[in-house]
Formats: sequence, C-alpha cells, structure tokens
Amino acid sequence: MSDTSSHPLHLFRINAGSCNGCDVELTVTEAVERFDVATLGCHYADTPEQAQIFLITGPLTTRLRQEVLALYAAAPAPKVTVAVGACGASCGVFRDSYAVSGPLEKEITVDLNIPGCPPRPQALLDGIAAAVRLYRQRRGETLPPLASASDVAVPERLRGAPRFAAAACVGCRVCAHVCAGGAIRFDDKEEGVALTLWENSCTFCGLCAHYCPSGALTLSNDWRRTHPQSQSYQQTVHGEVPQSPCSDCDASFTAAPPELLRRALGGTAAPIEPLRQLCPDCRRRHNLTFATRGVKR
Amino acid sequence: MSTTITLGPQQLGLEEPMYFRVEVDGEQVTNLDVIAGHAHRGMEHLVMKRNLYQNITLLERLCSLCSNSHPSTFCVAVEEIAGIVIPERAEYLRCIADEIKRISSHLFNCAVLGHIVGETALFRWVMELREIMQECKETIYGNRMDLAANCIGGVRYDLDAEYTDYLWQQLERMKAPLEALYQRYAEEGPLRQRTEGVGILTPEAARHYAVVGPVARASGIAGDVRRSAPYAAYDRLNLEVPLRQEGDVRARALVRLTEAQQSVGLIQQALKNLPAGPLCATRLPEIPAGEAISKSEAPRGELIYYLQTDGTEMPLRLKWRVPSYMNWEALKPMLIGGPVADIPLIVNSIDPCISCTDR
Ligand code: SF4
Ligand code: SF4
Repeated sequence: MSDTSSHPLHLFRINAGSCNGCDVELTVTEAVERFDVATLGCHYADTPEQAQIFLITGPLTTRLRQEVLALYAAAPAPKVTVAVGACGASCGVFRDSYAVSGPLEKEITVDLNIPGCPPRPQALLDGIAAAVRLYRQRRGETLPPLASASDVAVPERLRGAPRFAAAACVGCRVCAHVCAGGAIRFDDKEEGVALTLWENSCTFCGLCAHYCPSGALTLSNDWRRTHPQSQSYQQTVHGEVPQSPCSDCDASFTAAPPELLRRALGGTAAPIEPLRQLCPDCRRRHNLTFATRGVKR
Repeated sequence: MSTTITLGPQQLGLEEPMYFRVEVDGEQVTNLDVIAGHAHRGMEHLVMKRNLYQNITLLERLCSLCSNSHPSTFCVAVEEIAGIVIPERAEYLRCIADEIKRISSHLFNCAVLGHIVGETALFRWVMELREIMQECKETIYGNRMDLAANCIGGVRYDLDAEYTDYLWQQLERMKAPLEALYQRYAEEGPLRQRTEGVGILTPEAARHYAVVGPVARASGIAGDVRRSAPYAAYDRLNLEVPLRQEGDVRARALVRLTEAQQSVGLIQQALKNLPAGPLCATRLPEIPAGEAISKSEAPRGELIYYLQTDGTEMPLRLKWRVPSYMNWEALKPMLIGGPVADIPLIVNSIDPCISCTDR
C-alpha cells in the first residue's frame, strides 16, 4: 500500500460563484508562508482527479451547478468535501435567489463547514486540518499529529461567534430586522420570547450587535468554528427573554433590562426601579397619577 | 486556419469563474468573446428582497476585493435621499477604509501578475507584503476582507489613539517595500520585457471604450472620481492622480503601484487631520421616497449606484455600473492580433472582477 499517512494530500478548490472573498483568502494559504497548507502536509492539485479534499466556495450559482458537479464527480472516492464560508454552508447572504442552486448539501455530500465570511486563513487551516484527519480516518490510517493554527494574539475586535445575553434583551427584534442572512429568528412563547441565531447563516458582519440597543447581542472573537456538516443546524445561539409579572396587575411583560436604562439614561436612579417592574399599562396609569397630582379638576 | 478555443479560470490563473471564447489563427488571437454570468447570484433581485439595512451587509459581498466601495457608495445614496449629512469624522474614516482596501486590492493584482509570468518568488513576496494590510483590516475592522465599516449616516468603527498609532506604524512598514516593488516593475529586466508593449490600449481606444480606473489612467486619461466628484473627505485630502501614456500591461501595473503608495499617504493625511466628533448622524432614520445617484472611485475605477426608494425600508430599485464592466470590452483591442500566450497576462492587467460584473 503506497498511500501512507506521510504522503501529502491534494486539495482542489472550486469557486461555485463566490464574491471572491473566500477564494482570495484561500490563495493566501498557498502564498503566505505561515498560512501555507504545506505545513499540514497538503498541496493544491491542478486537476480534480488528483485531489482527495475539495474546498468549495460560493453559494452554487445555477449557472455553475453542472460544472461544479462534474468537477466533483471527476475525483475518485474516498474524498472529503469542505464547504468554505457562510455561502457553502447556507448560501449566506445570497439565499432565496432564482440564480442560486445551493446550499451545496442539496447536491453533494458535504463533510465539513468552515464558518466565516470569509474565514480567516487560520480558520481555513483549521478546517483543512480537520479534513485531513477525516480523510485519514476513512482510509483507516493512523493519525499523524498535525500542527494546528497558532492562536496567539487574536485581535480583540475580530468578528467571530455571536453571543446572546438574554437577560439584557429588550425583545425589540432590530437584530433580526437588519440581518442580511436571515440568521436570527424570534419565537413567541407563553413564558416569553426566544431568540435563535443559526451560525451557518451568519456572516459575522456585526450589524445586529451594532443596532442592538442594550448590548444583548455581541460578537466574540472566537473564530475556531469548523464543524461536521451533520452538526450544522445545531450550531446555534439560543436564549429566552424572560417575562416577569407586573408588580401591580400581575400580567407578564418584558421588563426593560438595567443595561438599556443605563445606556438610555446614563444609569438608573433609584426611583426608576419600581417603575421598571410595572407593565406598560400600569406604568402609564402610575405616571398619569403622578403627573396630575395636586391638579384641580 | 482559424480555430475556436475556450479558456477558463484554470488556464487564465484567475480566482474567479471567467470564461473566454477565443478565435485563434496559429498563435495569434483573431477575435474573442467573454462568456459571462457564472457568478451571477441575482443581486438585483436580492437587493429588492432585503431592506436598506440588510443591504449594507449584502452589498459588501457583491465583490470582496472592493467590498468597502459598495456599502459606502450605497450609504451615500441612501443619505442623499434622506438628506442626512454624515459627521466629518465619519467622512475621514470612510476614506481610510477605502484606501486600505485599495492597497490590498492593487497588491493582489500585482502579485497575480508575478504568478502569471512565472516569478513565484515575487508572487509570494507581494502576498507577504499585502499581509500587513490584511492584519490591519482584521485588527481594526474585525475581518481581513469585509470591513463592516459603514452604516447609514456614517461609520461603525472608530480609531482611538492606540489604533491610530498602530495603523500609522503599519503604514510606515509599507513604504520602503512599496517603493522597492515599484522599482522592480519599472526597472530593466525580464519583468519589464514581459510586460512592456504588451496589450496596448491607445488613448483613442481607451476613450472609445470609455474605460475607467487604472486602465484609463495607464492610457493617458486622467479620470478619478476622488478628484472629479469628491465624496467623503476626499476634497480635503491632497491627491495626485498618476498618469501614464503607454497603455500597456506594464503601465497599468505601475499606475496601481503608484496608487498604492499614494493610498498610504492619503491614510496618513486622514489620520493626521482626523476631526473629533460623532461617528454616525442617526440610528434608524426614516428614508423617504426618492432617488439618488452616487459615485465613488473603487480600486478598479468609477463605481456608480442608482437607488430608488418609495418611503418604505425596501428599495424600489437598485442598479449599478461597476468598473470592470467598462474595462472588459477593451480587452478586444488589447488582445486581438497578439499571441495567445499573452492572454492571461493581459486579462489580469485590467484586474477584472467577475463577481461585480456578473452579480
Ligand atoms: S462566504 Fe462570504 S466571503 Fe465567502 S464567498 Fe460567500 S459572501 Fe464571499
Ligand atoms: S452578525 Fe448578526 S446581523 Fe450579521 S449575519 Fe450574523 S446574525 Fe446576522
């Protein structure tokens, strides 16, 4: 058996109609020394027939569909397929177009997702390393140790996995309103309103966090997000915005979180706290009584 | 005897799915046709299904090499319709984001040129140099390609003293290598031999095809939206438009390399004069019915946006004219009559962007 674990694996890239962001970053993984796929024992192949690992970018445009499928079919099994970027996972911002035939998983077996829009080269390497492990596993080979992308000094502002602090959410839903990928959904329930954010549709653009009035939705700088395609729909951020009973009439409502009041009013003065626990109706009644106190009728 | 061949990204060394039907006679190109549409994602349809806010993120992904030009030009159109005047600080910050992208974009093109002529070491060297800008983008904006810098009414990133200083230092690191790179492309040697006199677009032809951006400026046409119709803070920044007359592959490369150097200077000017103040004029403004045209100088040239609104948050119409569309047709006079072997080099010299053009 000639193909041992020390043999280099070959990668083949397919652009399935991308914005070129993922592709330009993939070029970095063959041009820039510290991100070179050679550090993982991989090389880029010129033809699909030589390749064991496929890296596919873009939402799979209708125009390119046939060609992408033909390129993919040209490679002998076993092969590992990696959907690169939000496009590969879910068509990203391009979903729901007459000109898009993705997501990729509708047409071919996708093994891994590398989230990002585009993913940073470190994330690409991380995903390619996972693909190499998977390939070796499939061949029943022993797994050689792999250098993983160094994690030194991740920029503080790096836009990575979203985080949701339900207790700070005011339920205004502006995040879902501004999200181009349709990644955020709100569900109304008895106990309150629930937010779900599907990471496979997220481009990490941060617009939700920008418009969130209370800082409930933020982006962390966590960029290591490669996961098996089978887990794609479990990659979610979820939170239930609690409702509390009105301190007067007992009706449940979403109280303004302290963070919102701090931002809006520059801190909460003690007298606001009882008001915060009143539902909108009771608060109006209370304010009216307060405002008209001593007014002769 | 003439034959027809089809060339795709594999043969052309392109990142994008661009195809040509080329008629050849022996080793000579006699005619060509661009086969377009492979990266067509139905953008015109998609933008009308998204509200004005969602479109900021969607448009940033129209093309990733000029990804800042799209949302910023779009925001200008929205702001014009709504009568929003953006804060001065935001104007400067928009220029800074645009120029960082320009440097990265030009360097990418210049790297690919090295790759095409077989100078692998040069290709890698330019890509390494470009990494300085990539790191800047990730550190300041949070992503190496898509900056997420714009919002309606201004910007959504800031530079405090620490980030300003960081950016300044990184720009200083660019200066000597950029100068060396320019010299490398300008000096006598194999690179010059391979690019000089190749793919000529005469000033007359350039005017006839109405080419834009570095392609125009390398053929003696001095158009640059940053100067002819300044937006953001460009009217307050000192900018010299580089101009060359040769109209060949080399001239186009040299124009880009001069521009990259100037962009470094433009960012430093903007950093020096960065006025204090708010970043954004409004939060979630009401956008009335109206229409507007906005323009900018994207890395590949003049980018035009047309936006029509009806008082709701969904755009009624959004149309573009992207720079690559104009430059694309001019490949004919550049290629016809020349050797087939020059096709990749000449195609790369117009820095074509397929994702913009196909949309
Ligand atoms: S995932 Fe994002 S960066 Fe990658 S091709 Fe799609 S839109 Fe472009
Ligand atoms: S960062 Fe927020 S707004 Fe942007 S795609 Fe992700 S969920 Fe949507």
